[in-house]
Amino acid sequence: MGKYAIEVENVKIRFNLASENVDNLKEYAIKLVKHELMFQEFLALQDISLKIKKGESWGFIGVNGSGKSTLLKTISGILQPYEGTVKVEGRIAPLIELGAGVDPNLTARENIYLNGLVLGHSKEFMEKHFDEIVEFSNLEEFLDSPLKNFSSGMKARLGFAVATVVNPDILVVDEVLEVGDMRFRRKCNERMQQMLAGGTTLLYVSHNIESVQSLCENVVWLDRGKIRMMGPADEVCEAYKEEQEEQTVKRKEEKRARWREKGKKYDYLVVGAGLFGAVFAKEMAKRGRRCLVIDRRNHIAGNIYTENLDGIQVHKYGAHIFHTSNEKIWKYVNRQAEFNNYINSPVARYKDELYNLPFNMNTFYGLWGLKKPQEVKDRIAAQIADLGITEPKNLEEQALSLVGPDVYEKLIKGYTEKQWGRDCRDLPSFIIRRLPLRFTYDNNYFNDRYQGIPMGGYTKIVQKLLSNVDVMLETDFFEYRKEHPDSFKKVMYTGMIDEYFDFCYGHLEYRTVRFETERVEEANYQGNAVVNYTEREVPYTRIIEHKHFEPEEERKNPKDYSYISREYSTEWKPGIDPYYPVNDEKNNALYEKYRALADQEKNVIFGGRLGAYRYYDMDKVIAAAFETVAKELNLRPWW
Amino acid sequence: MDLLRYRIRTLFKYKDLIQELVARDLRLKYRRSFLGYVWSVLNPLLTMIVLTIVFTNLLGKKIENYPVYLLSGRMLYDFLKISTTEAMKSVINNSPLLRKVYVPKYIFTLAKVTSCMVDMVLSLGALFIVMVVTGAKFHVTLLLLPFVILQLYIFCCGLGFFLAQLNVFFRDVQHIYGAVLTAWLYCTPIIYQLDERFPRWFHIFVKGFNPLYYYVAQSRDLIYYGRFPGPRVFWGGWVIAFIMLVIGVWSFQRSKDKFILYI
Repeated sequence: MGKYAIEVENVKIRFNLASENVDNLKEYAIKLVKHELMFQEFLALQDISLKIKKGESWGFIGVNGSGKSTLLKTISGILQPYEGTVKVEGRIAPLIELGAGVDPNLTARENIYLNGLVLGHSKEFMEKHFDEIVEFSNLEEFLDSPLKNFSSGMKARLGFAVATVVNPDILVVDEVLEVGDMRFRRKCNERMQQMLAGGTTLLYVSHNIESVQSLCENVVWLDRGKIRMMGPADEVCEAYKEEQEEQTVKRKEEKRARWREKGKKYDYLVVGAGLFGAVFAKEMAKRGRRCLVIDRRNHIAGNIYTENLDGIQVHKYGAHIFHTSNEKIWKYVNRQAEFNNYINSPVARYKDELYNLPFNMNTFYGLWGLKKPQEVKDRIAAQIADLGITEPKNLEEQALSLVGPDVYEKLIKGYTEKQWGRDCRDLPSFIIRRLPLRFTYDNNYFNDRYQGIPMGGYTKIVQKLLSNVDVMLETDFFEYRKEHPDSFKKVMYTGMIDEYFDFCYGHLEYRTVRFETERVEEANYQGNAVVNYTEREVPYTRIIEHKHFEPEEERKNPKDYSYISREYSTEWKPGIDPYYPVNDEKNNALYEKYRALADQEKNVIFGGRLGAYRYYDMDKVIAAAFETVAKELNLRPWW
Repeated sequence: MDLLRYRIRTLFKYKDLIQELVARDLRLKYRRSFLGYVWSVLNPLLTMIVLTIVFTNLLGKKIENYPVYLLSGRMLYDFLKISTTEAMKSVINNSPLLRKVYVPKYIFTLAKVTSCMVDMVLSLGALFIVMVVTGAKFHVTLLLLPFVILQLYIFCCGLGFFLAQLNVFFRDVQHIYGAVLTAWLYCTPIIYQLDERFPRWFHIFVKGFNPLYYYVAQSRDLIYYGRFPGPRVFWGGWVIAFIMLVIGVWSFQRSKDKFILYI
């Protein structure tokens, strides 16, 4: 008894394509005369060496025509190797779809017998196990109908039942189970697991990588007749999947290149490669529309752009934390990237004091040393009552009437004044409508159900969204339109709406942030991703320490340096990056005027944060992009 | 020697399969037909009636009890024709199975010839009916008929193997063989008597180069004339059968590993 159930050594399988195509005498004579008979040789397998121990389970993966089935056939003895040797110890039961070979006109009963006999069982043996087979296949009622009336799933069931009636030494399964229904597949899996436990060697071919991973310990990846990779299932399968994806992207890229060469018109010219544009372009491309995405910047992803600086994903345009309560959107973004479980709990620094944000029991304990929610409520109510503000005339009075002087002085006043560059008393009260106070010890800034940061940064998400779309960077829309007016049918404009109309009614205003990013030679600069500086005297509003957005990355690869960004609020001037729309009465009215112009603009859709002059969280951006696509194509809304 | 023993062992291992395949062929042949097995008898009878009417009226020379004369030869020809034609297609028709599981490929060829042989034996009923109806004499020699059938069976196996492997590589063999079979029928004294009306070269051709002549002659001796076949046709029949078998098996073995590439 050898250790190995199967030993394959240097096997080569050669097909002679030329003579295989010859199946009639005329061709034969012609090719014989032309001396073409032995030319076109095709190596279905080359240098295959494999040693499979008894009781192991091996999966075989690869694209169509990579030689998986050929290899199994060689092991089963159906094909003879042209070179090399195959040694097999034990009885092989190939799992064949019943009726595929025997006879579709015979009844299932007769086919069971025939199939068993084909596998080398005796008639007596089959009679003994007949009931067992029928029971496993669950097809009692159909025993006496001809097999040709069976569905492929039913045939597969019978085939499996017959093949596994005794534990064969080696079970060969070649993609036949894919046709069965869920229940039967589970049953088959169980049976195979049982047989594996009982010492059967399993050879399994499937295009369903998950099932290969769950059944097989080892996987052989065949590529054009050669072993590309061989080893533990997870490793090989991952590598295989990765390559498959790459290839898909490459193929699509080639196709797009062909279209480009032909100079075919784009269905949509998407202006802005930010999240909105990317989602729009992807969903359009998915539905067969050709899109060209252009962006002024030299990178994609708009304001959610993250840059890898010495292994740290730096949020170049401010901290972005994805949060949503919409399950569909959460699933959607998770398909584009893997998210971690980051929870935003910023800290506020006021002079030498530290407070938790959002305003919650931890904050209040820091302020007053109070531990009971009711005590806090009473304290705040008393403070507000002392002020006697009935109708707030400005932001300061508004905030005071909501949270009282302590919270306002330490945590709101300075911060807000820095943000707007104005005294709180000079700011309109509408900026703050609500100031949520939390009477629990919960530092989670957001109330949404799902929250996280994509591991590896946001740029990757946008990259993936744009994987099947043409992109041109550092391209200004207005110039592009001038130069190629006929290269597109419609425009999806996500830039500033006022700029589109050449600021004909004047500029819409934005609140803008300037970042000073620097590398600090300190492994941990501030111990939290976000620290707000709420006193007026400190010039910046916040410091972001980027590595804390991805703690798992830091755990994996600890770094003794860090990247921090100081955020400064700046007055917006035409020409600098716009961030937050200022939705006051004046600006909203102005926007409405532009909106009216936009509605008259045929073949241009306005969308996104700047196009709609609205502040959007990322999830809302995605939702808005989807809605735009749905409206444009007259689809059913996505949710 | 070991190889031979191994081959016999495999054959034995698969005997149930052959049995089942034969049973399948017979079962399928008449499944869903009203008269079923009766057709095995009725078919040769009907052919015989047509031929008898045509030939007793058209052919100048009368052959005594033509129906029995005809059937005793025609039966063998039919067996040869059907069994070899079916055997020829046996490998190709089972290609889906052969592509998926290892089974000795000759099993299917062998099973086909065997099932045709069984069918032929069953259709002997037609011969007996005709003999009774026409009042022909039942000779003792009739009991030796199985030997002739066995000879022809071996011959057909050999020819079947040969054709089956050839057909895998050249599908046009099927069409050629169809023509060959027709010619074969007329080159064998089945519907006519090989007498002095035919030129001498034809006599030599038929007796020297037509294997079927040996079996028809034997069968006719036993059934129609009630005499022992001459040693020439008797021993010749055996020798030819085995030569054909050797050719068939040899050619089949030589190319069987390549089948898979062509089916």
